[in-house]
Amino acid sequence: MSENPYQPVNGEIVDIIDESPTIKTFVVVPEEDFKFETGQFVELTLPGEGEAPFTPSSSPADSEKMEITIMEAGRVTALLHRCSKGQNVGIRGPFGSGYPIDDFVGKEVYIVGGGVGLAPIRSLFLTLVDRIKDFKSVVCRFGARTPDDFIYKNTLFGSWQKIKGVDIKLTVDEANGGWDGNVGVVTTILSPKDVNIKNAVAVVCGPPIMMKFATLKLLEFGFPAENIYLSMEKNMSCGIGKCGHCMLGKYYVCKDGPVFTYEQIKQYPNIWD
Amino acid sequence: METVFISKLKPFLDAVAEGMELYVPKKTGEHYVYSRYDPSAETPVEFNNIRTCTPIKEFLFPLRELAAIFPEAAEPEEVKPFAVFGLKDCDLRSIEILDKVFAEEEFRDPFYVARRENMFIILSDCSEPGESCFCNLFDGRPFAQSGFDLNVSKVKDGFIIEAGSQKGRDFIEKHSELFSDVPDGALAERDENRAETQNQLEQNNAELRFDAPIKEIVENSQDSDVFDVEAQNCIECQACTRVCPTCHCFYLYDTTQKDYFAKMKMWDSCMRVGYAAVAGGANPYKILGDRIKHRLLHKFVYFLDRYGINMCVGCGRCIDGCAGGGDIRTILRKLSEEAKGKGKKKAKIAK
Repeated sequence: MSENPYQPVNGEIVDIIDESPTIKTFVVVPEEDFKFETGQFVELTLPGEGEAPFTPSSSPADSEKMEITIMEAGRVTALLHRCSKGQNVGIRGPFGSGYPIDDFVGKEVYIVGGGVGLAPIRSLFLTLVDRIKDFKSVVCRFGARTPDDFIYKNTLFGSWQKIKGVDIKLTVDEANGGWDGNVGVVTTILSPKDVNIKNAVAVVCGPPIMMKFATLKLLEFGFPAENIYLSMEKNMSCGIGKCGHCMLGKYYVCKDGPVFTYEQIKQYPNIWD
Repeated sequence: METVFISKLKPFLDAVAEGMELYVPKKTGEHYVYSRYDPSAETPVEFNNIRTCTPIKEFLFPLRELAAIFPEAAEPEEVKPFAVFGLKDCDLRSIEILDKVFAEEEFRDPFYVARRENMFIILSDCSEPGESCFCNLFDGRPFAQSGFDLNVSKVKDGFIIEAGSQKGRDFIEKHSELFSDVPDGALAERDENRAETQNQLEQNNAELRFDAPIKEIVENSQDSDVFDVEAQNCIECQACTRVCPTCHCFYLYDTTQKDYFAKMKMWDSCMRVGYAAVAGGANPYKILGDRIKHRLLHKFVYFLDRYGINMCVGCGRCIDGCAGGGDIRTILRKLSEEAKGKGKKKAKIAK
């Protein structure tokens, strides 16, 4: 039955990690071998209830389990948030094409992320860090609504910052508690001096409004549209370019994306809506 | 033998129905719909002079179907050979379009492919194109010369039956006792009928002439307010996408059964407000006019860019089915006129 693209692989949620008031990471163990590339996405089914698309936040190198970071946003995600360890799930995929890591070799990788957009970015980050010497540098500029809303706090505020070749700056829309970092949307911590634009690629992932303004900022800095990689969020449902819901111009985000360069999609209407 | 003759339809249809389930057109009100052929029925099957009002996709991609069972996977039900009689050239071309989506090499839809492989296509010539028919605009014709298993053309004294595939040739050979040689003059009569219908079709759509390719017109009309104006008459009933033989969007949903969980596929429509909405709240097509625009862009621009053919066969079903009196031809005409206007304006500025 493996040739039925609608058939999920059975899996189990073995752990649930609270990341922020609205975001949890689900550690899922598929019953069968399940390989993916960073940036590809899966359809996670809550049996009998529905499925939704998520980009795993773990490194593809971890073949035992997959971590999926989920914000409570709609019906299926609300039900997932109420699940406990041991819950059976279905997994379809992986779908689409992820980040073209090999094209990033020798370059500075400039990653701009916001909110739950850090989930796909974490998978990318871990993949890059695994072979950090292949890249000139990994420069991260991440934002969240408040300090509590940052996900992966332990590593984000700690070990990731100490990796050689990695430069991380954070910002929040609203400060609270002991936050002594930047306050402002993520574009306020972007500077044309962050990377050598001539030898850099940019990766943007976050809420649509953030992606729009970050992309405009990067263009203003002189980033060519073909060097800006966007992880697009549309209503990916079938995952195989048939059901139509995730169309972005001639592309199916599920099959041709979810990672696109801005150059590929800039001509189409409503890309940020 | 490739081309044979039979004076009555019934023995031919009975022979088809011997080997497989057969669906035939049945007149309901002004329109034809498909129903299962009953050899013992008293009313004979009517030769449909025009396409049915329901789309052929329902045989290949039903309104609702089971897509997967889990946690224990189950083999899908075997599809038995079936035949459909009375399909027209526009139907054939709609299958070509659906094939691009569901039978493409990467990610074949196994349910579609199984039905497609088991479908015996019996085409017939059109002789009374409807007011809404505009297939000639998309290189369609009221008859086909290939792509079918069998084609039936009505002539004065009976029916000319032509095989277009090995399956069709095998059928004719197997039932050779039913058929006779095509009488003298019958083929000429068929060709005359075809030419006459083609001519009729062209006359019906004589005013529908565009100065630029439709793709270009639609692609360059993205800032037009024609879509919002059209939206004022649209009641969002989604009939256009239901009866469209090429619209293929579907909704994948989960259900709980007694002993298992299931994934189901069901037709969806890009006219539905929540069609492209995501849980986070974003919705690229919140506005009805934008959904109508997207539908046209998909049909005449995006599908063409992706698969090399238009996603419209000009069958006019959406025009017949529209509860708001909408007409895709009117939209195209308005966009074309606007484009001409724009061209003139540009030329003026250039002067």
